[in-house]
Amino acid sequence: MEPMGAAPVPGITPGAIGAGIGLRAQHYREFLEGRPRTGWLEVHSENYFGDGGYDLHVLRRVRESYPVSLHGVGLALGSAEDGAAPHVAKLKRLVDAIEPALVSEHICWGRVPGRHYNDLLPLPYTREALALMVERVARLQDALKRRVLVENVSAYVAWRAADLSEGEFVGELARRAGCGVLLDVNNLYVNQANHGADALAAMDAIPPEAVAEIHLAGHLAADGLLIDTHGDRVAEPVWRLYEAALERFGPAPTLIEWDTDIPPLATLLGEARRAQSLMDECVYA
Amino acid sequence: MPELARQQQAFAAAIAGSRDAAYATPLFRGAPASVLDRLAVYRGNWYSNANKALAGAYPVTAKIVGAEFFEALAREYLRRHPSTSGDLNAHGAAFSGFVSEFEHTRDLPYLPDVARLEWLVHRAYYAADAAPADPQALAPLFARDPDSLRLALAPACATLESRWPVARIWEIHQDDFAGEFAVDLDAGPECALVHRPGFRVAVTALGPGACRFLEQAAAGSSIAAALEAALAAEPRFDLAAALREWTADGIITGIATH
Repeated sequence: MEPMGAAPVPGITPGAIGAGIGLRAQHYREFLEGRPRTGWLEVHSENYFGDGGYDLHVLRRVRESYPVSLHGVGLALGSAEDGAAPHVAKLKRLVDAIEPALVSEHICWGRVPGRHYNDLLPLPYTREALALMVERVARLQDALKRRVLVENVSAYVAWRAADLSEGEFVGELARRAGCGVLLDVNNLYVNQANHGADALAAMDAIPPEAVAEIHLAGHLAADGLLIDTHGDRVAEPVWRLYEAALERFGPAPTLIEWDTDIPPLATLLGEARRAQSLMDECVYA
Repeated sequence: MPELARQQQAFAAAIAGSRDAAYATPLFRGAPASVLDRLAVYRGNWYSNANKALAGAYPVTAKIVGAEFFEALAREYLRRHPSTSGDLNAHGAAFSGFVSEFEHTRDLPYLPDVARLEWLVHRAYYAADAAPADPQALAPLFARDPDSLRLALAPACATLESRWPVARIWEIHQDDFAGEFAVDLDAGPECALVHRPGFRVAVTALGPGACRFLEQAAAGSSIAAALEAALAAEPRFDLAAALREWTADGIITGIATH
């Protein structure tokens, strides 16, 4: 395994290896002025949809030194209503400009005619929803001319309508669309706590070779419900689930996600080091 | 309608309105009361994501009315003008119009223009980068027929005419503003110029001649026509001085020939 922070060659799309962190505006300066040690960086694609400006400038600059992963939050791929074409066009422009190591979106919906909820709403795990997701993901991969990863989301409600378990749905989607899986371990844990969905069983239903990235994040416990806030350190039970994921899937590039109450960079890097050391143990065990 | 569309529309209605939520509870596992609580979490996220995006685009408006009132404003705006894009930075295009018709902000008559200005600032922030014109490249200006020449302006540039001193209002509400927090609301009409030297958006007040000239230039008028409009508004408008300044500030990016 390459050491963290190895300098990639500009202009070549290097792989995202080891642990990475989300790049947020609060830490731009530190990445422009120095070279904090992290394997790679992930950003929310939509924040760089502008024609120009500072965010895009920073992203281009950091891309010279780090592998970058573009993580979309707005395509709402599983929405029954189609209509994401302008969004896909903007994403394609960004992908062409940045040459990211990874491109990902979510297994969710979010749009009805005339309205976008700008949220990652859970799909019913039905054959109908699966067929729609397979078609949409395949079309997205065609448009971007590359493999895309799709992420399992957290849910606060559980649909009664279900032909498959969450893990089966994710696994089938990966097999049939030929996409990768971005396994969010915290989301599996949140869903286990909220609905009793067995997180280990979900992982067992996903083909090992499909998992190309892992997300770790903190959540919030409120009135018997776990909320996926991305606003805290990764919880201990989630770290244990991550170890189980490493055992099943091997050391996939792992991201520390932190989107609200963003801490100093050192805190993020500390969490990433913990993920890295678990990956190292997994490799050398 | 396919089953999935039906399911999603019921979920969507339940997020948007607590009354509709009752109809949606049978779609989800668990006791109806608990499902209602869970749906309310999505409703809260919907409000708070839109509020964050709108407050990000309209920080001065938010400061003027206060965070709590702004949140209510954002909620009402979301109901009347829901987001239609997966990119929340696009949410808020109709906000100034909404504010101008909103009954509870009528005691702040300058607020719609402040909001208009902030949307221009928001758009300028994401506008395409533009290299400032090489002053040498502008030399043909003075050698060729001004009727056939047009100026190219940086994509981030925009002007806003207002009967309120909006540039001044914007200025004193900036986080790093260190001057006296005062504005003369009776100062008369003002024209604000939005531009982006480098990556930071700037707002400045323009005289009437400069304002008219840039409006005309932005609309694609020839230099001669723009100058005529500028001089009609301000007989002492000095084009040579203005061009030097606008070239140095990156507002003019070159000459656009037909």
